[in-house]
Amino acid sequence: MPAEISDEALDFLLARSGLALTPAQKAELKSIYAGIAGMAERVRKPRGPMAELAHVYNFSPTDLGEDL
Amino acid sequence: MPGTIPTIAEAAKLIAAKQLSPVELTQACLDRVHKLEDRLHAFVHLTEERALAEARAAEAAIMAGRPKGPLHGIPIGLKDIVDTKGIPTTCGSKILQDNIPDSDATCAEKLAHAGTVLVGKTTTHEFADGGPSFDLPKPPARNPWNTDHFTAGSSSGTGAAIAAGLVLGGIGTDTGGSIRGPAALCGIAGIKPTYGLVSRAGVAPAAFSLDHIGPMAWTAEDCALMLQALAGPDPRDPASATQPVPDYTALLGAGVKGLKIGVIHHFHEIDCKVSAGTQRGIDAAIGTFRELGAEIREVQLSPLPDWQACGSLISITERAAAYDEWAKTRLGDFGERVQRRLMLGALVSGVDYVQAVRRRRELRAELQAAMAGLDVVLTAAAPGEAPKIDNVPIWDLFERPSFTIPFNVAGYPAISICSGYGEGGLPVAIQLVAKPFQEPTLFRVADAFEKATPHRNTRPALVA
Repeated sequence: MPAEISDEALDFLLARSGLALTPAQKAELKSIYAGIAGMAERVRKPRGPMAELAHVYNFSPTDLGEDL
Repeated sequence: MPGTIPTIAEAAKLIAAKQLSPVELTQACLDRVHKLEDRLHAFVHLTEERALAEARAAEAAIMAGRPKGPLHGIPIGLKDIVDTKGIPTTCGSKILQDNIPDSDATCAEKLAHAGTVLVGKTTTHEFADGGPSFDLPKPPARNPWNTDHFTAGSSSGTGAAIAAGLVLGGIGTDTGGSIRGPAALCGIAGIKPTYGLVSRAGVAPAAFSLDHIGPMAWTAEDCALMLQALAGPDPRDPASATQPVPDYTALLGAGVKGLKIGVIHHFHEIDCKVSAGTQRGIDAAIGTFRELGAEIREVQLSPLPDWQACGSLISITERAAAYDEWAKTRLGDFGERVQRRLMLGALVSGVDYVQAVRRRRELRAELQAAMAGLDVVLTAAAPGEAPKIDNVPIWDLFERPSFTIPFNVAGYPAISICSGYGEGGLPVAIQLVAKPFQEPTLFRVADAFEKATPHRNTRPALVA
């Protein structure tokens, strides 16, 4: 993830999100993009495809009809 | 008993012995509200008539030999993101200014069932996010220790109200530290319980998988009494835990002799260096625990910014999803701070979110392994004393990692308690963390510290 974002890329992301921002808000978002990019880098660790998400879940007693 | 403000435990004993009337206790709280609210802005909505009616009903029931327990007749406040039937619940926002729920949140219902007296809805950051804002329908809460200073948030009004004795306890919510932060800066106790222990039903979400509901009060013992009423499974909350509810007061008074306490030194000494006053409070606490017979060990975890990155990416994305419709159609109706926070959602990709949720599993496993031979771990709850209220940065998540968010990421129970006072005369705090569903141990350790130190004997000067 690059530490900077172009105006065109930001416009694309904003169009996809549906947010209507003022020019000042867009400028601010651009200025803090590096912070988000840095966070994204921190959570990208070398890990295999089998590394699970945290919220994998079991079926509850209700799913299994045990509390009916 | 500091001044004329009892703890919940003290009041409960006096009420049970018929030496204190719930009506007198409630009126004393209301008198302090009338005296101080103009300076503290701790409430967005007062329920004075209801409070007095509930206090009279509590008194009648107790006198008739039908006491409900230690919370019967105790004045409390509920953060204004907690639904209350027939009472405005605005989430501190213009968007919900006219919202009057037709049912109670589960936590409100449980506290009412326990016989508490509702004094009012307490000030919150807008939808529990953003920081102190001056463009919302109500002004931000002020710190009772110095009203030029911040309370931390987002459970800001609950923290201020308890410290000033406007209520004896209250509800906060905590997605990245919103119970423990105000507890730390207002010099009270606040616990974020294990994820799922207290139902989130009827409470406005901030980030679904990080949101916790919990009690705030003057002491850890009082938090234990409140958690007893709040904990337990709830079919209205899909994350609700099914573990049996233990007696949260069972280990109070047992001391810490023989317990093993890990200290995450690198969090507060390297990753985010705390103020001299906070460091002194931590060092003194370690010394106190050692003197009380605990064994102190060193704990090493991933750097604090790793936890912050994981929690922030999840929080930003889940919040953007929760408020997606209003963000698209009514962005300008949010306060400026929340507008700026919501727009962050556009920058986090789906892959970023999934990588954060995968990282979360790794970090939680790391904490689990580190705590294997320990009873609790200790670190800072906040970097220092409360800053000035007009000097709170909007982008602090990029500038300074939070001491509290790791335990939202992990879902582990964590409590903030007062560990003294800094150079500016404002409170400093430590944070204690236990294994999942080990809240009795957390209360045991926190209570032992509070009883061994003088910090619970001092209230803010403006209360006198």
